[in-house]
Order: sequence, then structure tokens, then C-alpha cells
Amino acid sequence: MLLQLAKDSPEQRAIEAGEIDAVIDHTNSNVILLPTARQALLAKASIANTLLAGLPGKERQRLLADFEPLALRFGDVLQEPGAPIRHVYFPIDCVVSLLAPAGGGQALEVGLVGREGMVGISLALGVEVSSVRALVRAGGRTLRMKADLFTEAFHQCPRLQRELYRCADAKLALARQTAACKCFHAIGGRLARCLLMTSDRAMSEEFDLTQTFLAATLGVRRATVNEAAGPLQRRNLIRYARGRIRILDRTGLEEASCGCYTGVA
Amino acid sequence: MSRRPPKRKASGARTTTVVVLRLYIVGGAPNSVQAVANLEAICREHLPDGHRLEVVDVLEHPQRAMAEGVLVTPSLSKLSPLPAANVVGNLSDRDKVLLALGIKRAAATR
Repeated sequence: MLLQLAKDSPEQRAIEAGEIDAVIDHTNSNVILLPTARQALLAKASIANTLLAGLPGKERQRLLADFEPLALRFGDVLQEPGAPIRHVYFPIDCVVSLLAPAGGGQALEVGLVGREGMVGISLALGVEVSSVRALVRAGGRTLRMKADLFTEAFHQCPRLQRELYRCADAKLALARQTAACKCFHAIGGRLARCLLMTSDRAMSEEFDLTQTFLAATLGVRRATVNEAAGPLQRRNLIRYARGRIRILDRTGLEEASCGCYTGVA
Repeated sequence: MSRRPPKRKASGARTTTVVVLRLYIVGGAPNSVQAVANLEAICREHLPDGHRLEVVDVLEHPQRAMAEGVLVTPSLSKLSPLPAANVVGNLSDRDKVLLALGIKRAAATR
């Protein structure tokens, strides 16, 4: 691929001088990171994901070799229910919604994964097919690994196993809590909780969330989202315009949230 | 036949040319971090009157790098004023960057 660059071109000279981070492969529409840049990015990213950061240095280094840094966009679908899990993802600053299908194109959010976790955790439990739709709710960066490489690494890293079992348990607890929350709590409190959880994982007080997406997440109609957002806006807790949400008063929003909000698990 | 004297610019009127730059990087990668810092220092020192800098992360916007014919990152493009110019690398060779941007010559004749 590097042969595409003309011999003695400025690009080729800059590569030889070690001043280049990536080469754009126009033939395959790909960005190829050069080794030094790749290592630097992976090292930083593996600390940004708290699940990976909790691993001993040796185990993390073992995993780094098989990771691929990637940028995800709002709306990207990483997994579909019933389909084999081809990759696992360790989010850095993106947020991924796990949606359980309910027929007729409807789905309910039963989990949320950010920098504290991993998408594709079923693989760690020996299940190779996804039961949920994994949809990117807030774009950002992630580390990706092929499923077979992950399974191999998982069996070789005892600490990773422990961390992932703990993480799987936290996700299960979140799904249970979400089920109870949907049955018993008012939509205003649930909306506040949903916004806080997204903000925690996106590590930002401002993010994109369309009304349609929020309605699907909370399992309600779009008009209901509008009705629930109104009081939060009037109390100056949030600003919501054209699908962009800004949390203005986090403490107030926490008070408005239902008791299910507990911060990042 | 009467001749009109050529119009002169009003004294004190000064036109400022805004230099429009675009820097393609990989966010967080060592050469890209260095290129951003180097370019910001150059702009502060040599383009205090006006410049517009857009930084494009090619991992987040790969399609832009493809469409705009970028081959490697870091890669700096001067879009305006013409002629357009391009410099690749971490921009630590300040003379090379100033020459490519047409700033060095302008500074010498000032």
C-alpha cells in the first residue's frame, strides 16, 4: 500500500523521518495507522476505558496487540439480535444502547455501555450470538477486537475474566432495574435518569439525542417525551433543542430523576 | 480628452488577508499533537491579524480525507489565499511551513 506514494515524494520522506501518524489508503477507503501512532493511541485508549484500566499492565499489554482504534457515529449498529457476535467493543467516549426487540420495529433499552464496560459481553459468558441490538447513542471512539481473538485472550487472562463477570453482573442488574423502573416510575423521572446515564458515559453535559430515539429508549410515544421534557426545561435543568441536549443543572436533574439513577456502575 | 487620475486608496485603509488553513490529523497520535502545537505557535507569531484553522480528525471523518485527496497525516493545506499549498509531517521545520504558506517571503519584504 505504501508503494502508492511516489518515491522521494514529500509524503514518503516524511514517513521515513518518522513524522507521519497515518496513511490514507484510497483504494480500500481506509485509514492505516503507522505502528508508533497505533501504539500511542492504544495505550491512551486502554486507560480511558475503566474496565481495561483496571487490568494489570501485563494483561492489558497482551490485549493491546489485537485492538483496533475506531470512531463510531450516532446510529451505527454494532450487533443485531440473533446474529453472531463478530467483534467486541471497549468504548472510550462513545455510548452504546442495548435494545431488546419487542416486535413491530419497536424495542426497549435494557442496557447502556460506555467507558465502564464492553459491548459483546455475552462472548465472555460463552454465548456467541447477540440477544440485543447494540446501537451507538453518542458517537465517539472505541477499541474493537475480533471475536475469536477476544475469546482466546479471555481464556488466557484471569483478571480480565473476573472483571468481565463483574461487568456482566452489573449489566444484568441494570436490565432488572430498568424493567422495574419502566413499570413503576413516572416518565419525567425516567427521562431524567436516562439523560444522566448518557451524560455519565459520554463524559459530557451536552450530547445528541433525538426525540424519536428517546421515545424508543424509554418505550413511549414521541409526544410523551415532549411532555416529560417540558417541566425539566421550565425548571432550567436541561435545554433541549433540535435533538441536542444540554444539562444545565446536574444536581437538580438528579433530584428530578427516579431513585434508580446510581451513576456509572 | 480628459484623463481622470487613478483612484487612490484612502490613507490608513488596510486590507487584511485571512489565511484559511486545514490540518488533517489523527487525534491523540504523537505527530498530530505536535503538528497542532507547532501550527498554533506559527499562527500566533506570524498570522496575528487573521487566520482560520480547521482541524479534521481523519479517524472521525475518513470520508473527508478520501474526498479531499489527503495521502498522509499530519497534513496541512493552505486553501486561501491562492496559490494553494500543502505541507506534510509534524510541522517542526518552521522554515518549510513558512515558505509553503508564503509567509516567510512576505515577512522579509515587510
